[in-house]
Amino acid sequence: MKSEQFDRLFHALADPYRRSMVERLARGPASVKELADPVEIALPSALKHLKVLENGGIVLSEKVGRVRTYRMRPNALKSITQWVKQREAAMEKAFDRLALAMAALPEREE
Amino acid sequence: MIMGVFVSHTDFVIERDLPGSPAHAYRFWAEHDRKRIWTSCHPDWTVEEDTFDFRIDGRETLRWRTPEGVEHGFRAHYLDIVPGKQIIYAYAMNAGARQISASLVTVEFVRKGEKTHMTYTEQAAFLDEADAAPRSSGTGTGFDRLALAIERSLAVSH
Repeated sequence: MKSEQFDRLFHALADPYRRSMVERLARGPASVKELADPVEIALPSALKHLKVLENGGIVLSEKVGRVRTYRMRPNALKSITQWVKQREAAMEKAFDRLALAMAALPEREE
Repeated sequence: MIMGVFVSHTDFVIERDLPGSPAHAYRFWAEHDRKRIWTSCHPDWTVEEDTFDFRIDGRETLRWRTPEGVEHGFRAHYLDIVPGKQIIYAYAMNAGARQISASLVTVEFVRKGEKTHMTYTEQAAFLDEADAAPRSSGTGTGFDRLALAIERSLAVSH
């Protein structure tokens, strides 16, 4: 799961058009047109790149009326792996205590 | 302004060999005082609520307050229990008003000689709060921050 996530992330960033879009979005939300114009690509092509960024978990989009707006996804590049690491570490510590408690309170024959 | 909550799904498995039989291991999950021996992890947090109703459809609720005054919560709902063998429960965690995660957990106990092989499987939905304000350009360019964030995310994955 983790390596798939990284594959999508790096694929998303392995393109100069997409990187410039990310750079633009890091300054604030923008419409497809605002993202397409500076790099001089057609709207359908820009949308295709933005779809890749969205699948990579880097940006989010929302359509209001006829305008689709993109923005950076908060904590896009750190959240899930850090969360899982933290949760796993907390459970590992709890299970250390569980093993100690089980050894300290030996079982009765039942 | 776009607002909302974003969900990331993941799962992880922890396996442990524990001293004693599956029946012994199970008691540390099924009995309130025994479970608290190993689940209490923040000595500086004040316990404000601690209920434990271990049966199918029963609930477990814990509420703490940190020294800073933030209330943390754990709410669990036991969905399936096979004594000495398996426990399935759903649980959610919150910090203040913010929901952190919602998970489905399966704990399995299998005898392994003198020991118990325990498998803990958590399938989790981690909730990511959308920040309401547009990103301000703090230090460096957006791309510097992006590179930094990638470095950090790679650092924790090792």
